[in-house]
This record gives sequence, structure tokens and C-alpha cells, in this order.
Amino acid sequence: MDRDRGIDKRLPLRGVEFHILLSLAAGERHGYGIIQDIEGRGEPSVPDVGTMYRALARMVEAGLIEAAARRPVPDTGDERRNYYRITSIGLRVARAEARRLEALTNAARVGGLLPKEVK
Amino acid sequence: MTQPRMLHISERWFRLLQRLYPPDFRDEMGNAVVEAYMDRAHHSLQNGGNIHLVALWFRALVDSVRNGAGERVRPAVSWRRSGNWGRDAGLATRRLLRAPALVLAVVGTLGVGLGLFGVVYAVVHKVLVERLPYKDPGDLYFVWRDYRDLRRGWLAGTDVAELQKAGGAIEDATGLQRQLRTFATRDGDDATEISVMVTSPNLFQLLGIQPALGRGFAKDEVGPKRPAVIVLTHELWNRIGGDPAILGRPVRLNGEPYTVIGIQPPKFGFVLNAGIGPPQRADAYITFGINLAETNPDRASFAGLIRARRGTSPQVVAAAVDAVGRLVDARDWQNKGLKLYPVGLKPDLVAAVRPALVVLGFAGVLLVLVLMVNLASVLVARASQREHEFAVSRALGANGGAVVRATLFEGGLLGLGGGAVAALAAFWGTRTLVALAPLDLPRREAIAVDWQIAAGVIGLGALLGVLAAVAPATWAARASLSLLLANSAVRGGGGRGRLRRALVVAQVTLSLVLLSTGALVVRSFDRLLRADPGFTPEGLLTLRVPMPPQFLPKAEQSIALQDRVEYALRTISGVTGVSAASTLPLTASAGQMTIRIPGAPGNTGDADRDARLVDYLGARAGYIEAMGMRLVEGRAFDRVRREGVREAVIDRNLARQFFPAASALGAKIPWLDNQFLTVVGVVDQARLYDVHQDGRPQIYLRAEDFGYRTLSFVVRTRRDPLSLVPDLRRAIRQLDPRLALADVRTMDDVVGDALRRQRISAVLISAFALGALLLAAMGLFGIVAGSVTRRRHELALRLAVGADHGRLVRLVLGEGAALVMIGVAIGAPGIYIAGRLLRGVLVGISPLDPPTLGAVALSLGLVTLAACYVPARRVLRIDPAQSLRQE
Repeated sequence: MDRDRGIDKRLPLRGVEFHILLSLAAGERHGYGIIQDIEGRGEPSVPDVGTMYRALARMVEAGLIEAAARRPVPDTGDERRNYYRITSIGLRVARAEARRLEALTNAARVGGLLPKEVK
Repeated sequence: MTQPRMLHISERWFRLLQRLYPPDFRDEMGNAVVEAYMDRAHHSLQNGGNIHLVALWFRALVDSVRNGAGERVRPAVSWRRSGNWGRDAGLATRRLLRAPALVLAVVGTLGVGLGLFGVVYAVVHKVLVERLPYKDPGDLYFVWRDYRDLRRGWLAGTDVAELQKAGGAIEDATGLQRQLRTFATRDGDDATEISVMVTSPNLFQLLGIQPALGRGFAKDEVGPKRPAVIVLTHELWNRIGGDPAILGRPVRLNGEPYTVIGIQPPKFGFVLNAGIGPPQRADAYITFGINLAETNPDRASFAGLIRARRGTSPQVVAAAVDAVGRLVDARDWQNKGLKLYPVGLKPDLVAAVRPALVVLGFAGVLLVLVLMVNLASVLVARASQREHEFAVSRALGANGGAVVRATLFEGGLLGLGGGAVAALAAFWGTRTLVALAPLDLPRREAIAVDWQIAAGVIGLGALLGVLAAVAPATWAARASLSLLLANSAVRGGGGRGRLRRALVVAQVTLSLVLLSTGALVVRSFDRLLRADPGFTPEGLLTLRVPMPPQFLPKAEQSIALQDRVEYALRTISGVTGVSAASTLPLTASAGQMTIRIPGAPGNTGDADRDARLVDYLGARAGYIEAMGMRLVEGRAFDRVRREGVREAVIDRNLARQFFPAASALGAKIPWLDNQFLTVVGVVDQARLYDVHQDGRPQIYLRAEDFGYRTLSFVVRTRRDPLSLVPDLRRAIRQLDPRLALADVRTMDDVVGDALRRQRISAVLISAFALGALLLAAMGLFGIVAGSVTRRRHELALRLAVGADHGRLVRLVLGEGAALVMIGVAIGAPGIYIAGRLLRGVLVGISPLDPPTLGAVALSLGLVTLAACYVPARRVLRIDPAQSLRQE
């Protein structure tokens, strides 16, 4: 089976999904942690908690991410949060999406929507 | 308000909002979502105080309404997408995979049983239900003629012409006549006999059929000066090479050239419904070389097919045809009471087979019920093994619904698997059946399992599985620890026991009805096999040698050739007798004539009652002897013909009517114009129609007297009749290479073909019945075996306090016997209902024949008791000391 085609089929990702993969690529997070990451990236529309968790459930089902072992969070000592980590497929999908976005951005640049050669 | 208080309210609000999500999502994500909101709440309080917090509450509400609804409509996880059913299906599959023997047994049973049902379904559907493949087939009718004691007779050409002129409700009419002709693509070469439909040129338009190649007949291609054109069926075209270039080329019918103008589409299976006997198919179509309106009104030899104006009700059509009939009656029959009437094409076609198919269908439905009950009891047995599991999980708070779903799924899955196997089985079974089916089975060529029927069988399997699982599922849902404890404490049983017993009773009931149906059909078939058709079929080979007038213009020439053929056949070694007749027994193709015998002692004086419609056929000398017919009085035909005398042999029934007390020998029967037949002998009928009953009275003419050309030869031999065939072909080819041999068959085959329909019914229904009996016996076996196991403790106690083993075996046996008795009692009215359906199918036996039904009840009893006895004997192995110690 052509695995890359399987990857391409999943593209484009929803915004929230790419954000989730982006956050988890850096390490395990729980839902609220991801929301905080998104806020930190200066995204104008931060997804709500329900949207976030539905996306998480969907992505677990799709094999992009998986639930990590639960562990106490130092500041609250709470064990109820669900932690997630990215899977290898998820990582490849995220990279593919990033490349797609990069190509899109380049195209926007060529098309004059963005200033050229800003490094 | 204090911050902790506000946070507490927040948490309760967030939890409340979780209700908006489906339960599954809530179970999995609820805590995490609430936690995330609480993190937000902390944040809001710290950054903006209560105002921000309330804003968050509102935001959470919007979020939950939106995503809660979204999650319900489009769940994130696939098994949730199908609700809990998906998860339960997975569970059921895994559990079934752990019991491959059970799956194999159930799927196998269902596969065979439903497969048989599928075959019956396919036949019933294609023959009785499906529309005929013509344009608006509901508007097509055959027209028949009743006149005195002639029923369903052919029409005269003038009748058809009258129908064509009628107009009104009768949009169009066509005449049809089937003839056998010798067919060759080149002169004198590869001669075969084919069946040719001679029709009015509008037949194909009337049916709404377009030729696949070339064209149909033009309106004016009819009558004495018509061009000789022929349309071939796809089948015949294939047989002669399937070359499209044949269009426009001549072929030969009886030596005369006909130009091929069209080829019919492959599935064109038009058959001509005959007055009596099987529908007749044709290999090719030509048009009448005569003008129907100018034919002799006395010579009724045409079938009439009409198309009613679209949407005309059958009553209106009947009235229109009746009006034509009255016109004909007045013009040609001096108002003596000739009647014409229409019969819908389809009812007409299937009338003969309908009763048998209805019975088969009924037996099929019973079989399906048996299968369902059997599956139900298997599932109950399975559920009862898991009784503890159910009860414990219920006690621990498991949802009753889950158990129900799991059981239903198990049933549905088993049913689906069985249905799939059954669809395959039905596919092959139907092919086999069609290969074996009687040639006269209408729509035989159309009978096959198509995807609709296959889907129907698979769907039925699944439905049956789910229905079968309903009983165990509801029972399992109620399983509770207290009931379980109560049940195992006293002598086992309780709800499950009752349910299983009820299922066994149902099985016995259904098997009884099926068995009695099967036994009656088999006995009826046995009667048919034993019936004496009036001749001796063993050791007889038959063949027809067409001698068309085009080959031998004068009758004397064909008689001379018949003599030579007979002589040539007689010299083949092992042949003990040869003769020939115009019509063989059981082929329903004799001529009919109304006769009177003036001055006969049996005449009543009533002109109508003294006229009798008879079958007549021509026979050569030695025919009665070669066929092994029984001469009652007088003699058969002599080899030497007497000058100026037309000899006839009549059958016992005709002799009895006209000469009740005297001898019929020497009587003169007026025949045709100014001729007389002189009766020289009386025979028992060699039956022309049914094996088991006499048909119309018969008159055997001397073939030579009436110039019959094409005769069927009968060859009696000491050898295996079929081993004669090569010798026979060689002998006839040597005489004249233009002669074709047709219908080379042993007389045993002819008889077998006449009985084929009954044979298939008998085989199928007895298979159904035996299958049902087997399943019932297995059910009983299970019940009794289970009972012995469950009551081990009690039985051991009884033994310990002095009961002997024999007594205990009888005790256990009695339990099974009681079930059988109840089943039989319930089944008895079913036998009566089945009997009413069977009445039209049975021959020589009443549907309530006491010996047969008695034998059925007895054998059912014996088999079921045996099924009880084997497990009951396990009682003997109980050792009270050991058993009681175990407890």
C-alpha cells in the first residue's frame, strides 16, 4: 500500500487539528495545555474546550494521536486530565500539512499577497 | 460571593452542560472537559473576576450546545457512530469466533435449509410471481373454445380472423399453430426436426418483442402468395453456427427454401399454451401460407392470442371475446352453444403447476419456521450457559440492554452467515433443479437465482437470526441472581427451561405438519409410480421419423418407406418387435373428433349425450403387441390389410358407453365423409395424458388407411434400449439420408418425464420434512440431556432413597414424551390446513389418509423418543454416593 497516499488523503487538516499536532509534536499535553499553546501562538480564534476534546477524540480514532498514561499534574495533583501524545503517523501528517502550508505560503508570496523574501 | 463558592458553582454548571453530550462521549471525555473548563475558570477569576467567570459560563453553554449537538450528529469515534450496536457487534463477533463448532453447525444448518428454501423461492417467484417478459403482459390473453364436451379447445382459423376484426377492447389478435418440420441449412444435409411456430405476421408486435438481428414479419407477409421468410430463435441460430451473415440466406423446411430475415433475442422464450399437455416452444417462426378467414370453420387447430387495449379490465375483455364467440356460434354452429373465452397469458401458463408450487412454497415457509425455532433453541442453550455471567453482571449493575443487544447481534450475525451460505447453495441448487426440472415447467429458462433473490435469502437469514434471538434475548435481560439461585436450588428449569421446552414443542409441531405433507406427497408419487399406464414401458425405445410430403409426395411412398424402416429396425439384433403410431402414450398429442354410433345399444336417444369426443391416432400392425397393451376383446391389426375395410380398435371406455352389455366387435363407426370404421378389437387405454387415469375414449386407426406420414416407431428389445441407438441411426440413414431422427427416447424416459414434476416435489418436500425431523430430534436430545445434567442431584437422591434406574429413565423419558405429545396435539390442526392445500396435488390418496398420517405420527414418536432415550440412559451412569458427595 502506498503509505504516502494515505497521508495525503488526510490533508488538509482542520485548523484545530494542526494546532493539536503542533503542540503534541513538542511533547505530551492535556487538552487545556494545548489550548494555552494555541493562545500562545497568537491565533485569533482559539477553539473552545468542547471543540478541542471532540477533535482529540476524533484524532485518537484516526490514529494521529494516542492517550498517554495519566499522571499527576504537579500544580493540582489532579489525575483526571487526559494526556495525549503524537503517533508516528500523526507526526508525518503534521509534517505533510506543514509542507502544504509552506507551499501555499510560497504561492501567496509569488502571487504578491505577502511581501517577498522575508526571512 | 467567595471565590471557592463561585468555583463550586462553576464546576456544577460545567458538569450540567456535559448532559448535552452523548453519554459515551461524556464517559470518556467528561472529566477532562470539566477539568479544562475549571482551569479556564481559575484563569478568568484571577484575570477578570466574577464578570469574566460569568462570561465563561455563557461561553461554555454555547460551546456545549454546539459541540454536544455536533457530537450527537457526527460522533468522533466510529463505534459511537453506530451507537452501542457497533461495540456489541464487535463483542458478539469475538464471542462467536471462540465457538467455531457452533458457528459451523448453525451456519451449515441454515445454509442448507435456507438454501433449499431459496431454490423453492426462486422457482415460485419466477414461475408464479414475476411478470412475463413481454410488453404489458397483463393485457395478453389466450382464447379458448368450449363446445359440448370439448374444453379448452383450439380455435378455427375463422375464429382467429373474427378476433382480429373485432376491435374495441381487443386491440390485436394473432393465430398460432405449431408444426414439426425437418430443418436443414443446405439441401439434404444435416437434417434435424425442429418445432416451427406458424403465426400471423403481427405476433412479435403483439408481444412487444424486437428481433435481436434483422427484422420481424411485415404486415403483408402472410397468405398464399407470401414470401417464404423465417425468423430463427437465438438458440437455433447458435446451433447452426451463430453467423450473422445468415440473414438474407435460405434455409430449408421440409425441403422448401425459406429466407432468414431475423434472429430473436437470446431470452425470447415464448411458448404456445396447448389446450392439453405441456406448453409448446418453437425453434423458428414463419407466417401462415393460408388466409385464416378462408379456412374451414370445422377444423379447429389454431391457438388464439389477443392483446387487450391497455388497461382494459378482464371482465371487459371476456365480454368482448364472448361477443365474438356468439357471432361465430351463430354463423358456423347454428347457435349450438360454442363459446370463446380469454384466459390471461400468465394464469393460463402456470395453471397446471400452481397447486404443486403453492404446496412447495408452503413447505418452504414451514422449513424456514423450523430453522428459526431451531436457531432460537440453540441461542437459548447458549444463553443459558452464560446464565451465571448474565446474572452476576446484572447484579453488578450492568445494563440489561447490553445483554439484549449482544444476543440479538449473535442471532443476526449467525443468520447473516447462514443466509450468505444459503444464497450460494440456492444458486447451485437452482441450477441443478432446472437441469432436472420437467421440460414442461413454464418459464423454466428464466428460473435462476439472481441478485434480488440472493439478497432476499441473505436478508431472510439475518431477519430469521434476529427473530430467533428475540426469545433468548428477552429472557437473558431478565436474568437475575435471585432467580438463578432459586432455580438451581429446586429441580432445574425456571424461565429458561420453559422457553426451551416451548421451542421443542414448536419444533415437533412444525415437523409433524411437514412430515405429514411429505409423507402424503411421497405416497401419492408412489401411487403414480405404481400406476399402470396401460402399456409396458420397460425395454421399449421410441423414435420419430419425420417424412414430410415434400420428400415423398404420395402417401403410398411414405407407407412403403415406413415398411422399409420397420423391416430395417426389425433386423437389428436383439429387437423382438417393431411398430409405429402417430402419437405415443403420455404425449398428449392425439387428434380429437366427435363421433356417433347410430344404432348402438348404448345410445340414449339424446343427440348430445350420444355424441362423444374421442382421441384418435393411427397405428401400424403390431403396435398393440409391441407396446404391451392389453387386448380385452377381438384382435389387434393384422399384418395384411383387408380391401375396402377401415379397421379400428377402440378402448374399453368407448365400448362400455355404446355397447354396455354387448360386444362392440363388428360395429361400424361413421368417420369423416361417408366412411366407416369397423371395430375389430377392444383394448385397455394406453394413457395419453396422465399416468394414473384414463383420458378421453380412444380410437386406434390403421395408420396406412389414413396416410399418416410421420410416425413414432416403437422398438421392443431384450437389450438395453439405448444401446440400439447407433444401429438404428445407421439403418435409417442407409434407407434415406434425408430422414431425420427425432425424440429418440426410451419409453421409461417418456414415463419418467411425465412424472418428473411429481418426483421433484416429492424429493424436495421429503427433504424438508426429514430435515425438520432431524432438527426436532436434536432439540429433544438437547432438552433431555440438559435435564439429566441439571437434575443429577435430585436423581441421585432418588436413587439413594431406593428408586431403581429403570424408573428414573422412565421419569426422564416421560418429560420428553410429554413434549412430543403436546407438539403432536398442536400440530394436528396444522395437518388439516396443509391437507386443504394438498388436495389439488395428491393423486389417489386423501389428504387425511389415516394410514399415512398414523404412520407419520408413529415414526415421529419413535424418532423423538429415541432422541430422548439416548440421553436419558445417562441416568444409569449416576452413582448416588459419588454424585451426592460432589454437591
